[in-house]
Amino acid sequence: MKALFFIAFAAYAVSVILEFTGTAFRKEKLLRLAWIAFIAAFALHTVFLAARGVAAKRLPLSNQFEFANGFAWGVALFTIAVCTRMKTDWLKVAAIPVTLLIMTYAALQPMEIRDLMPALRSAWFGVHIGSAVLSYAAFVIAGCIGARYLILSKKESDNQKALDQMDFLSYRLVSFGFLFLTVVILSGAIWAEQAWSAFWTWDPKEVWALITWIIYAVYLHLRLRGKKKGRQMAWYLVIAVFVVFFTFAGVNTLLHGMHTYG
Amino acid sequence: MKKVLSFLRSMRFGILLLSLVAVCSVIGSVIPQEHEAMWYVQNYPGTYAPILRLGLDRIFSAWYFIAILVMLCLNLILCSIVRIRSVVASSKTERERASKLPDTVRLTPEGVDKLRDHLVAMRCRGEKIGESEIFTKNSFGRYGSFLTHLSILLTVIVGAAALYLPQVTDQTCLPGESVMMPDGTEIRAYDFSIEDESGRLDFTSEIRIKLPDGRHSETKQIRVNYPMSFGPYKVYQQTYGTAGSVTVRNPANGGEDDFTLTDTVFLSLDGVSGIWYQALYPDYLQDPSGNVTLISSVSGRYANPVYEIIVSEGGQYRSLLVFPGDEIETGGLVFRFNDPVEYPGLRIKRTPPAVNALLIAVFALMTAALYITFFCDPILVKLDKDGYAVGGPKPERMRVELGAGFEAYERKDEEP
Ligand code: HEM
Repeated sequence: MKALFFIAFAAYAVSVILEFTGTAFRKEKLLRLAWIAFIAAFALHTVFLAARGVAAKRLPLSNQFEFANGFAWGVALFTIAVCTRMKTDWLKVAAIPVTLLIMTYAALQPMEIRDLMPALRSAWFGVHIGSAVLSYAAFVIAGCIGARYLILSKKESDNQKALDQMDFLSYRLVSFGFLFLTVVILSGAIWAEQAWSAFWTWDPKEVWALITWIIYAVYLHLRLRGKKKGRQMAWYLVIAVFVVFFTFAGVNTLLHGMHTYG
Repeated sequence: MKKVLSFLRSMRFGILLLSLVAVCSVIGSVIPQEHEAMWYVQNYPGTYAPILRLGLDRIFSAWYFIAILVMLCLNLILCSIVRIRSVVASSKTERERASKLPDTVRLTPEGVDKLRDHLVAMRCRGEKIGESEIFTKNSFGRYGSFLTHLSILLTVIVGAAALYLPQVTDQTCLPGESVMMPDGTEIRAYDFSIEDESGRLDFTSEIRIKLPDGRHSETKQIRVNYPMSFGPYKVYQQTYGTAGSVTVRNPANGGEDDFTLTDTVFLSLDGVSGIWYQALYPDYLQDPSGNVTLISSVSGRYANPVYEIIVSEGGQYRSLLVFPGDEIETGGLVFRFNDPVEYPGLRIKRTPPAVNALLIAVFALMTAALYITFFCDPILVKLDKDGYAVGGPKPERMRVELGAGFEAYERKDEEP
């Protein structure tokens, strides 16, 4: 089964190389091949996750390795969904490497399947962690769009309509991510009350989920105020992704709390 | 005064307060919370003084953090009241006003027909006002952000009640024994196991709660994540422990008694000869020459339990290791060491009625309100023979979507 993970990993890596070369030398064919490799990697990754779920007899999202896999899978899913529906080929050059980056983090984690510890055996497990995968992935794609906005808005000033569409698309993704991050926090609170008796304990992981939530709430409001559109909001989204990554990986490695499940 | 009030209810103040909550949260996650003062002196030798003086060791209960939350609630109340009044007022006249909007995008006649079909397919409600057709949908969507803010306000208030009103106590309870609460409620543990049938760790207690008025729950199993509620009480499977068990027999009169051993204790008939119980170890290692190394902690069941005892016989003491099944005779008593007893650590929580249910209802409201805010945008499109304009309280989505979808039908020849 490990082999399947590494094959998917390699396919993502091939996709990144093809995408970069295709973009650098403006070769349409290479870009098309990169996309095929990416979809193939996603398919293999899906099979790997399903097989791991079957082998572990549970949702394969319980430790850092599995959650990182879920996260990368979510980013790939959003990339494919957004690029297919919205014809946003420009997103690929940012989103494909980010998927590989998260897969690399996964590859560095212990991979063995372990029994779920009693505190994780709950009906809330799927809702809580599944929503986290979706919300983090949406924020990452919004950040990728922000990065693209920054590049495009510097180069061509007459492309306002495309820029507005990008700004709106990243806003829609943030809305989606924000709704799901809210579900993460609220389901986590209900779960914590079932497991530990208190809805909220100011555990570092909880606190960083709250910080991420506030950061995106501030984004929504700054954007509503209208004056701060465009480049500033795009910068905001790019920087916010680092907070998402810290909440996802940094808290477990650098801060101590009850969410340390290996 | 007016300026102060308008600042207090402004979104700018709201954003400032939210940012302050985030800053405090970062500090509270980086500096470990709720330790003794001495802990900070040892671990933060250079900075413990400001940490303690500014209350950074208990930042989430510091007065300034509570003050920020109170001001956030105030800001939410003030801004919501102002906004909801204008949202309701504008909803009454918006269609009338939209009918007079100049077209922002001019379309070819074919484009106008296509757009009409598109709006009908989107299930927008059409209505003719003067020369214009007004298409609307999701009118209730305008209340999404009001409901969102209301639910956030309620979450802070009900959440604070759910965090600070309950009384929580941790108790150990040997199987077959009870815990008495101050109000006379009795919580009895009937059975406890730490592994399920397949040998997987799964702490399970069998519990019954009896209220002071005599009403009692059924006897139910509780496990981690599956507490039991009855009346104002909720009982959680929290931790577990393992205690020694010894049966003491007096051959002279045939009397027999079972003791559960948790702390050091002296078991004797005359106070001189008998057994001092010292400790129970879960496991041991023995090297080829017979030396024993005791293992003091394991997770789960004790694989090879060992009792450490001191036998006192007429003023002489000798240390011994004994195993379940062993018998020792001293001071006119026979001590039989049994398999250890596992017992649960229970967390008992008493919450005022309805607080938890109310909080969960508020959570559901917040989720629904956010869904309405983001995914039920109120749609209002004015269409006439030359083109269209998007109106309503949240026009961005339709502007972008129609802008992209009907670009091919735009009339670029003349400026609107
Ligand atoms: C915990 C904090 C808060 C959260 C999570 C939150 C969330 C939201 C959301 C999701 C929206 C809708 C955004 C959109 O449609 O794009 C919104 C709109 C808005 N928020 Fe907040 N908010 C918070 C605090 C505040 C505060 C303190 C104010 C204070 C003035 C405020 C003022 C507004 C206003 C004026 C709108 C626009 C209202 C409308 O579209 O009808 N919010 N908020």
